[in-house]
Amino acid sequence: MVISVKDGIKLVGISIVFFCAVFVCTFFMNYYLDALEIGERVDESLKSLYEAQLATARLTCAVTGGVLAFISAIMLVFYIGLFVDANRKRLGILKAMGYSEGKIAVKFWVFGLSVFVGTALGYGLGHAAMPFIYREMSIDGLPHIVVNFHVELLFAFVFAPTALFSALACAFARLALRKNLTAILKGGQAEKKRQKSNAGASGENKPFLIQMCFGVLRSKKSIVFFVTFACFCFSSMVQMGLSMRDLSSVTMGMMILVIGLVIAVTAFIMAITTVIHSNIKNIALMKAFGYSQKERVAALLLGYVPFACLGFVLGTVYQYGFLLLMINVVFKKVESVPKYNFDMLAFFIAFGAFIVAYAFAMIYYALRIGRISVKAAMSEE
Amino acid sequence: MIVGRGIFKAYNKGAVKVLNGVSVDIEDSEFAVILGASGCGKTTLLSVLSGLERADGGSVVCNDCDLSDMSDKQLTEFRRKHVGFVFQQYYLLEHLTVDGNVKLGADLVNNKDYREIIDAVGLSGKLKSKPSELSGGEQQRVCIARALAKKPNVLFLDEPTGALDEATGRNVLDYIMKLKKELGFTMIMVTHNGHIAQTADSVINLNSGKIVGVQKNPAPKSAYKIGW
Repeated sequence: MVISVKDGIKLVGISIVFFCAVFVCTFFMNYYLDALEIGERVDESLKSLYEAQLATARLTCAVTGGVLAFISAIMLVFYIGLFVDANRKRLGILKAMGYSEGKIAVKFWVFGLSVFVGTALGYGLGHAAMPFIYREMSIDGLPHIVVNFHVELLFAFVFAPTALFSALACAFARLALRKNLTAILKGGQAEKKRQKSNAGASGENKPFLIQMCFGVLRSKKSIVFFVTFACFCFSSMVQMGLSMRDLSSVTMGMMILVIGLVIAVTAFIMAITTVIHSNIKNIALMKAFGYSQKERVAALLLGYVPFACLGFVLGTVYQYGFLLLMINVVFKKVESVPKYNFDMLAFFIAFGAFIVAYAFAMIYYALRIGRISVKAAMSEE
Repeated sequence: MIVGRGIFKAYNKGAVKVLNGVSVDIEDSEFAVILGASGCGKTTLLSVLSGLERADGGSVVCNDCDLSDMSDKQLTEFRRKHVGFVFQQYYLLEHLTVDGNVKLGADLVNNKDYREIIDAVGLSGKLKSKPSELSGGEQQRVCIARALAKKPNVLFLDEPTGALDEATGRNVLDYIMKLKKELGFTMIMVTHNGHIAQTADSVINLNSGKIVGVQKNPAPKSAYKIGW
């Protein structure tokens, strides 16, 4: 009808985030369940280390799974909002023809497919990587932990999220379609009227470029969240990955670092691409009027820089707090755990990489903005 | 003065020829209408004359600037200094107020008195309104104010009344003509409406990418004295 299976699996960002979440959760939870079976055979002298290992698996699974599931839910709602916006005419026509909101909303279940793709791949690869991870997490003196298949994890990490997110997609679509028909066809202008001029008043008397900058930020607040989150991920996971060389293993550290980078890059690309797509006509108009490329890029993307910096700072604080918690609470009773101090070297490496990566991203997007043709942007309706 | 000589323009790697050797001369402060049926190349000609697009062949000189050999950066600079646009579909920035939208033009030339233009188009009472709170005619008047706030030498209008009903269309046209008289800029308007052409100083008739006639109009009519 309106939504095809192709639309459902197009949400690559959600698939990637789910892949990372399920990949991590699968082997940690599997390890946790398998490690429980050797509990009675663990030597008393290794008991505290064994329990700390179990607590690490539980905590990592809960934090990673919880945070990433939350992010995915926001991403899904955001994507559906964009989809409804981009297809408002088609959806409005269906409503005008007499299709009920519920009947149209049910079709949004296909968005759950992107969740299935991510979770299934994450679960499969998580399982494939398990022998290697078990070796990395093994402790001298503990009985050998055998990799077992736990069907409840397959259900919890693949089928349950798919069903839950399909239902969420339908529920949010129904909410988005609840507007009156004219509002849907005109892109929610009735709603915009209610917000009225309070937004405009704050930027009044400021130069146009600053007003535009604030306007772009206000028009899609979720983008601000994604940019902050992307930089938070980059900062926390890169620093944590580098700081863990003494606390865990280099391999574990690298794994955290790679997962952090994948999520950060995915969220950042999704956010900035959306900003550019939803402002193509505005960029074209500024170009037609003679605004230089630098001014166009600044008006569109400069407003996100403070939020990117905020994300980096929050990420730094988070990773420091998380590692302190692990050392001082989880591994408190374990002997020979190295003392943890804030890793300045990791901080400077992450900060340098952040500045370079952000600058490269801005140059790339500036080139993309420069390539937007006035005629093409204006003629597409 | 705007001088176009032998302008060629094609799309799809030359497969779709839109302009076939068009030559035009438009004097300073003249009001010229480019008239023709849908798809004859009017908007493309407007884009080429205004520096929005480069011609594939021929030359365009506008206000002593030869647009033919300009880079993208130079064309942007040219538009910034000389040109204003009014589009049929308005293209207002939805998240900015009337004031903010007009500033888009005003700030380019550091025009601090841009509110006089908003006043002139009769929208001083709607400074804080968003485009979605305005009627079609009001939105088009914001576009006109935005274009004029940058004090252009040449104003290009692409079917500015095309999306408006008769009464609003006449009002908007009347506003444009009054402002032109007052400010003295050159004006080039694209339209398919033969009646509107009667308000212009000259009419360039375009058909299938070629000029089929140019008429000078010794006594242009007012917007309220033409058919619609």
